[in-house]
Amino acid sequence: MPGSTRAFATREAPAAAPPRTAAGWRWWARRFVRNRVAPIGLGIIVASVLIALAAPAIVPHDVRAMAPADALSPPGGRYPFGTDEFGRDVFSRVVVGSRVSLVVAFLSVAVAVALGTTIGLAAGYYGGWWDAVSMRVMDVVFAFPAILLAIAIMAVLGTSLFNLVIAIGVVYTPQFARVSRAAALAVRSLEFVDAARALGLGNARIIWRHIIPNVLAPMIVQVSLSLSLAILSESALSFLGLGTQPPVPSWGNMLSEGRQFLEIAPWNAIFPGLAIMTVVLGFNLLGDGLRDLLDPRLR
Amino acid sequence: MQRYLLSRLLALIPVLLGILAVVFLLIRLIPGDAVQLFLGTQVEMTPEQMAELRRFFGVDKPIPLQFLDYLGRILRGDFGVSLRTARPVLPDIAQRLPLSFQLATLALAVAVAIAVPLGIVSAVVRNSPVDVATRIGGLLGLSIPNFWLGAMLILVFSRYLHVSLGQYVPLSQDPLGTLRSLYLPAIALGAAIAAILMRYVRSSLLEVLGQDYIRTARGKGLRGTVVLLRHALPNALIPVVTVVGFQMGYLLGGTVVIEEIFALPGMGRLVLQAIFQRDYPVVQGVVLVVALLFVLTNLVVDLLYAWIDPRIRYA
Amino acid sequence: MNARRWLWLVVVALALPALPAGAAPVGTTLTIGVDQEVVGLDPNLVTAFSSFRRIDFLYNKLVRYNDRLEIEGDLAESWEFPDPRTAIFRLRRGVRFHSGAEMTSEDVKFTLERVLDPATRSPGRSFIDVITAVETPDRYTVRLRLQFPLASLLSGLASANLSIVERAAVQRFGNLQRNVAGTGPYMLAEWVPDNFMRLTRNPNYFRRGLPRIDTVIIRVIPDQASLLAGVRTRALDMATINQGAVIVQARREPNLVVLQKPGINLRIFSFNTTRRPYDDPRVRYAFAWAIDRQAIVNTAEFGFAAVSGPIPASTPWATPVNRLPSYTPDVARARRLLAEAGYPSGFATRIVTSPTYEGGIAVAQVIQEQLRAIGVTATLDTIEWGTYINRWVARDFDTMIELRGGDPDPDRFLYRTFHSTGAVNNFLFKDAPIDRLLERGRVNLEAAARRPIYAELERALIEAAPAIFLYTPMETQVLQGYVRGFKIIGNGALYFLEEATIER
Repeated sequence: MPGSTRAFATREAPAAAPPRTAAGWRWWARRFVRNRVAPIGLGIIVASVLIALAAPAIVPHDVRAMAPADALSPPGGRYPFGTDEFGRDVFSRVVVGSRVSLVVAFLSVAVAVALGTTIGLAAGYYGGWWDAVSMRVMDVVFAFPAILLAIAIMAVLGTSLFNLVIAIGVVYTPQFARVSRAAALAVRSLEFVDAARALGLGNARIIWRHIIPNVLAPMIVQVSLSLSLAILSESALSFLGLGTQPPVPSWGNMLSEGRQFLEIAPWNAIFPGLAIMTVVLGFNLLGDGLRDLLDPRLR
Repeated sequence: MQRYLLSRLLALIPVLLGILAVVFLLIRLIPGDAVQLFLGTQVEMTPEQMAELRRFFGVDKPIPLQFLDYLGRILRGDFGVSLRTARPVLPDIAQRLPLSFQLATLALAVAVAIAVPLGIVSAVVRNSPVDVATRIGGLLGLSIPNFWLGAMLILVFSRYLHVSLGQYVPLSQDPLGTLRSLYLPAIALGAAIAAILMRYVRSSLLEVLGQDYIRTARGKGLRGTVVLLRHALPNALIPVVTVVGFQMGYLLGGTVVIEEIFALPGMGRLVLQAIFQRDYPVVQGVVLVVALLFVLTNLVVDLLYAWIDPRIRYA
Repeated sequence: MNARRWLWLVVVALALPALPAGAAPVGTTLTIGVDQEVVGLDPNLVTAFSSFRRIDFLYNKLVRYNDRLEIEGDLAESWEFPDPRTAIFRLRRGVRFHSGAEMTSEDVKFTLERVLDPATRSPGRSFIDVITAVETPDRYTVRLRLQFPLASLLSGLASANLSIVERAAVQRFGNLQRNVAGTGPYMLAEWVPDNFMRLTRNPNYFRRGLPRIDTVIIRVIPDQASLLAGVRTRALDMATINQGAVIVQARREPNLVVLQKPGINLRIFSFNTTRRPYDDPRVRYAFAWAIDRQAIVNTAEFGFAAVSGPIPASTPWATPVNRLPSYTPDVARARRLLAEAGYPSGFATRIVTSPTYEGGIAVAQVIQEQLRAIGVTATLDTIEWGTYINRWVARDFDTMIELRGGDPDPDRFLYRTFHSTGAVNNFLFKDAPIDRLLERGRVNLEAAARRPIYAELERALIEAAPAIFLYTPMETQVLQGYVRGFKIIGNGALYFLEEATIER
């Protein structure tokens, strides 16, 4: 379970850079391309998203059609990735499975960002009692073994896509809370914020116009990393039987079902795993590249 | 320093209470009657008998009362008895803890063995093809789902290499046997951690190598390797030690899926089973222990860091 | 002593703990792998199949099933029914409990009364609650007075829940969950929960010369593929496997013996007969015609099961399936029945299932596909095992995949499952003619008279279809070639290991 990188991800997120003037997007684009790693990552992600969107149209077989006579056939011929125990085409299921993984990943990170940023910004900006309480709560959530928390939430709420998004979103909220709080703290004490207040600007305005742009940089990196973790989490939960339910294909539950046949039909487990690895690699490459781009320390 | 330690320890308490409360509530919110589960589907009971069983298990009181009861007992060291086996919870957890420790240690050892040399090489020949290859390899390590890696390792070792996976034996009985049963899961877990560590080693070493005193050492005529090993590396490894420490904290609670794949009788499997069977005392006990260990490990690592690195000052 | 000797002393002292603790077992040892740990060992109290398997080694019953599923004497030497409401059992003499005390009719009386006592909460109670009095005319005779004649009495007494326990031990310990007080071929020597259990030979076992193997070690390995790996590498001598994929692998191994026998547990597709549209028997019967049972067996069990009617196909009472209606799929007929019932274009429904073996998720997926052919769109309610149990108890389902524990005697299984007052009749099924058939079947002690009743009952149950009867999974045991003499029974019981030997 990617909790190890969860603990790590918070600590390594770069400190908020001092406020900068908006550099031209051309400058950024050029730097993006020159960083060899990030474009590859972006490419993988874009390709995955496109495949996921087009999935039902491009798959050679119906993902639910059972052909018992062809059960557990090795890759080749009509079935490029082989078939599972029911005679269903593994290739088609892997392709369609990408939809679940990507949807859950994007939505759950959105939840984590929304929840975490709100909490963290408020804590960092307003400080005091709210800060103490909310950060304690985040500590509690963070101290939980990630997978256990997710399992418990899924067991309570039941297994549906919506609940999966909530569970994973909650688990990754503390990261965003901490990052945004740190950014808010760093900026809050700067002079121009006092100046803005003296001028009579409301708090909301200040947050929106001054703090948020400076949270953006570490946030983007965090988002990319969290996306990769979210995909791994979804597959781990589905693997344990708590995520996507059969017969809907998801890489995690395909791995779980395929594990029974590891010796007599290993393709059932190999290909979903490769798919997970590829997409997660894409997000990691992108995140890594973005961190290099945005963090002044590592240049 | 002492005041810092005290304040950190005090800050632990609300966090632990919070964890306990959350777990307590969460596990009770799960739909499902522990008593019914205990009996299974094949047994018929009258409502009176069910009520009697409920009284026996202590699940008939209102929840806030149950929580206070529980809190009181925890403070006295009584973690309750398992609803499934009627055995005390804490000794069972204590029995499984060594495996988790051994697995975590082994995984970290694997990770360090891979990450440190690669990280050093990567930093030294920075931006060369070797560096880039290592960095991509590192990211690959991060991207592989560790349970998939575990399954692939089992496949390769069992089917193609015909090496069987040992049954887990405790360290006191047969150290070699323990090693035999844990090396594959340790590799599966260690790969991702190696990836993280490697990046830290690399960046930390790069930062240290850019310092003035390194240039001074070189200027004094010391050979590159000597400079590297005696001056740069020890300082570079300080922050890495803290990362390793944090990973240990995480590993103690986060190995559920690996234990499932390799059929290891560790805490992760214990708590997974317990959640499915609504075995409230076991779930509460394990989560509390794991969270406590995680938080304590973090504290120890923080203090260690402060002690090792004299540059750190605490407000 | 000089420094060097001290040094050696220290080295040896330090090395001592590293030596394997405990002597290796003397004589022959059999190591069995199972996939479930047991929670308790009290035979009159436990409910889990895994517990029964341990009890097989430690206790005996009045009667037991042999490998042809016939009743034979265990602790009882002989028995007779002087009149339909009386049963007399004559016990073997000189049978000793593990404590050394002799087993007498007092212990039998105590056991039966303990099971009958509502306060004990014994799962075996419903098997023998027809008993009104237990009398002990002498040390080796037990007389039972029955409320009415019951054909399945012997079958009930053959249940592991009715194992005879030592009265003195229960009075001393309260219950026998952790303490064994039986007469069985093996005694409990060591138990490390979730790891292994070690049993040693009972030197005073009443079957002379048995058991032949001195020590039995039962290892708990929850993962079936790991169980097979253990047998392959000789870490285990034997393992019980039920996952089809693993059985296929086992059969490919040249050095292993795979024993299989049709089992007596029944896989069924249940209906809640009080919910629309399943309150109409035509809809239920339509499903029976639409489902291809053999295809389910092939896909979900890899062929390791036998298609079966309401009476498990492996038992002597069952009618061969080729003579049962609806066992050859007929989609056209199914559609006609649905149309008659008012659903010409099908309907939507839900199937409750669970990822565990009992929950039958693979079966559910195959049935889901097969139902599409008659216009029924089924959504799977895949729930976790705990929730599955609760919904079962609350009768909160439309349809459900289940695995029911069957029995060689048809009454023991059918009555409590399908009688309108049956305790596990969670179909909420009430059918007066079927009730009457069940009542007639159980009080008739003559097999010749019972046969036609049960044949009729089978057809009636298939047509009334409170559930669709699918198959009985096979019992599979994987053994090393050098384990000889074990007889597989079909209900999973392991007590014939007392006759097994190890010949290397």
